[in-house]
Amino acid sequence: MALFVAKRLLMALATVLVVAVLAFLLVHAMPGSPGAVSLGAGASQDAIDQLNRQLGWNDPLVSQFARWLGDAAQGNLGVSLIDGRSITADLANRLPVTASLAAGATILSAVLGVALGVTAAVRGGLLDRAIGGFVGLLVALPAFWVGIIFVYLFAVQSSVFPATGYVPFEVSPQDWALSLALPVITLAVGGAAFIARQTRASMLEALQQEHIRTLRATATPTWKILYVHALRYASLPIVAGIALQFIGLFGGSVIAEQLFAMPGLGQAVQTSVSTHDAPAVQGVVVIATVVVVAVNLVLELATKFLDPKLRAS
Amino acid sequence: MPRPGRAALTRLSRHRLLGSPGAVAGLVWLAALVIASLTAPLWLPFKTEDQDFTAVLSGPTAAHWLGTDELGRDILSRIFAAAAGTLGTSMITVIVGVGLGTILAMLAAGAGERTETAISRVTEVMMSLPGTVIILAVIGAVGTNIPLVMAILGILMSAGIYRVILGQAKSLQSQLYVDAAKVDGLGPLGISVRHVLPGLANTVVVQAALIFAVGMLIQAGLAFIGFGPPIPQPSWGGMIQGASQHVYDAPWMMVPTGAVLALTVLSANAIGNALGKAPNAAAPHLPSAADRRQRAKAVAAIAAAARDAEETGDAGTDAGAKGTLSVRNLSVGVDNAGTGTGVQLVTGVSFDVEPGTVLGLVGESGCGKTMTALSLLGLLPSGVSATGGQILWNGRNLAATPDKDMQSVRGREIALISQEPMRALDPMFTVGYQLTATIRRLRGMGRSEARAEAHSLLEKVGIVDAGRILKTYPHQISGGMAQRVAVALALSGRPKLLVADEPTTALDVTVQAEILSLLRALVKDTGMSVVMVTHDLGVVADICDQVAVMYAGHVVENGRTAAILDNPRHPYTLALLAADPHANHADSMPERLATISGQVPQPKDWPAGCRFAARCQFAGSACLEPVPLLPSSAGDGLVRCVKADQLAIEGMDWLATDVPAGRLLPVSPVSSATPEPAPEQDSIVEKDLA
Ligand code: SF4
Repeated sequence: MALFVAKRLLMALATVLVVAVLAFLLVHAMPGSPGAVSLGAGASQDAIDQLNRQLGWNDPLVSQFARWLGDAAQGNLGVSLIDGRSITADLANRLPVTASLAAGATILSAVLGVALGVTAAVRGGLLDRAIGGFVGLLVALPAFWVGIIFVYLFAVQSSVFPATGYVPFEVSPQDWALSLALPVITLAVGGAAFIARQTRASMLEALQQEHIRTLRATATPTWKILYVHALRYASLPIVAGIALQFIGLFGGSVIAEQLFAMPGLGQAVQTSVSTHDAPAVQGVVVIATVVVVAVNLVLELATKFLDPKLRAS
Repeated sequence: MPRPGRAALTRLSRHRLLGSPGAVAGLVWLAALVIASLTAPLWLPFKTEDQDFTAVLSGPTAAHWLGTDELGRDILSRIFAAAAGTLGTSMITVIVGVGLGTILAMLAAGAGERTETAISRVTEVMMSLPGTVIILAVIGAVGTNIPLVMAILGILMSAGIYRVILGQAKSLQSQLYVDAAKVDGLGPLGISVRHVLPGLANTVVVQAALIFAVGMLIQAGLAFIGFGPPIPQPSWGGMIQGASQHVYDAPWMMVPTGAVLALTVLSANAIGNALGKAPNAAAPHLPSAADRRQRAKAVAAIAAAARDAEETGDAGTDAGAKGTLSVRNLSVGVDNAGTGTGVQLVTGVSFDVEPGTVLGLVGESGCGKTMTALSLLGLLPSGVSATGGQILWNGRNLAATPDKDMQSVRGREIALISQEPMRALDPMFTVGYQLTATIRRLRGMGRSEARAEAHSLLEKVGIVDAGRILKTYPHQISGGMAQRVAVALALSGRPKLLVADEPTTALDVTVQAEILSLLRALVKDTGMSVVMVTHDLGVVADICDQVAVMYAGHVVENGRTAAILDNPRHPYTLALLAADPHANHADSMPERLATISGQVPQPKDWPAGCRFAARCQFAGSACLEPVPLLPSSAGDGLVRCVKADQLAIEGMDWLATDVPAGRLLPVSPVSSATPEPAPEQDSIVEKDLA
């Protein structure tokens, strides 16, 4: 088990490093030098060249990357080319927004998805088919479109929730929850559908196992077979599915943040990409990767812990 | 697994596609969309950029069927103008993603473990990346070059496709015909393309349809956040983003585009799901609530039939002695909700098991032995139920007993041991938990008392270090040990009858003998009776007092074990004995073992006459009539063969394998045409036997 954890940690580190290199290269392929981006249109070529030299833009790529990596390791992701603010500080402010969004959506999807999937598998018949159809519809609905409909229904027609904006938790926990509600629900629609499918399939697979028959042959009550034994067996693939879904929802937050004007990481990616703010893009890609990889690692270890075969070895 | 021929596959795909209304609708919608968008310039009422300032933000009107946007542009025209681009660029993702994923999977499957591990690692990393964020960074570098972005998206998605396809590619790669092709000198590339790829075709198409849908959604999402095709070119995501600016004043605007996008995604998903549907998944061992209701109806029907019989007075419900199991005329069939005429799997089975005796149910697989055995506990798989007859046990007809009442029988009165001990135990819980929970439930004991009982039960089934075994998980013990645990589990409710479904088949020979002697000892000590399902006549000779030989869903011969083994009357019993190395007495051991050519017919193919006729060496025209089960001339048993007496008198044996082909009767599937054996063939049989 310790060896397994060490291996996974190493792989997570490697993943982050690979993405860092990738992001670095992508950023260097962006049109326009940092000097040009920073000084904006109308700057003289001399001034641009001068700034580029200052930023080390003309150094060999390897030494530029080494410098970036050294700074990043100390928590310094550089400054924005557009307004000179510290990227680390900016992202630190934005991370909680996206984290609440993605975590909220993941939890909501997991709860709804597992409930729907288990119900479909356990009840069968007409209800199973109805849930199947409903879930199929949810999977096909674009999140941003669902979001607009929610805004129309709950913010425009009846102002239950605020349509846009984000209130930090420290300011008002209640408003924080209200401001998260619509974006979280929006994201969870698709997520819940995916998890419902995964759960249904895993539950059916579990119920096909022969030990279920042994349990019945020893007069185990139906609820116990379903919710203790079958669900326990199905929990491995379900948790793996939830881990995968978290990655998707983290990405989906880009759209939710745009739609609901939330100052999160997704918004940062979107603006820094549109403004060609190279260090900001690089920083946010790496931070997003770190978060996703870390959460995945935790969920993966959880899955392994659920599996007696791996736990024992 | 037969090699999946390309033609057969296409047939299957077509069948599944056309069998699903959703998929058909999806195909129609996609085709209509493609045609409409390709011919758009010919019929669209407006150009995409035409602005109608008299109708800005209008709802549907006669002029603008789907309304207009904030610049007065016709939404219908823009939707269809954008369709070709959206569908086309999503195809890029499909081709790159599915293509790369498939190639990687075939490479990993064909090139050995090292390559597979390497590729799997890389794809794992790819799957754990925040794809959306990376795609946005790519857009930062290459701009909104949609085809290129969609191609890179395909690369990111290939990892997931690889994971889906790998298992299947590996199993195809390990097929015998692939080995044969290797021997013939076909290179790895040739094998992949000629033998593996065709087998993957269906999965690949399924993945393509699903990825197509995801590609469209992501592309629209990108356009929605401003990374779509350059303005003023229309795109679905861009149009929805435009609509989102007007939720307050023109909510209608988001409806048409969103609906078209959702419908298109839905279509692709429907096609993928219809193709990807597993043809026949295994039945769950715990039926769904809906299936249990279905089952309850079947049980109620049997109970009603039994009541009717009782009223008319011709019921044979003599409850029998206590502890005796009497199965009377039992039939088991596939549920058929609509017509009530599902295929029968077991028909007219009757037998008795006296207390303290062992009955063997013998036959090849597919003869209905296991179905018969499981019906004793009411544990038939989902979709199958007892359809008639009686299972009389302690004055109750178990065939007509509702599931909730069976709970008091299962484990406490009748227990089950299954074939594969490893799979019969729950891999997620320790042996100790499974045993103590069962003991507490069945015996109403407290926790510590049950724990002690579990310990002593394990010792009783011959486990020396019971304390250690209690703490282990099933995967940590050997198969023989697991079967002992399974026996202990079955004993925990002190049952009077044990149903053992091939309890030794999956075990090593030495372990088999141990388990058999354990069972024999248990019968002697506890006085319980056993119904032993087996295909092994050695097991029968070893432990059974009575035997019922089953073929194609009914009993063809039964009686005392000694009588059956020494004086078999039914040709199928003869054949089984001739084919079994252990059942032959050492002195009469033939030089060559006989085989029974052909296979047990499928239940739907059972002929009206003797069900064994297609494989019987002695079949004649008299065998085409239904054959009753009649008293056998040997002992007090019964036999179902028109020639039983004749064969006994002539002392004929089932002949060993290399019987000249002409001597065997045609083994044509019994269902097709009449299996009328030609007279001269019949006489050949007689002559050769003489
Ligand atoms: S009835 Fe005819 S076909 Fe059937 S077992 Fe007897 S001899 Fe063979």
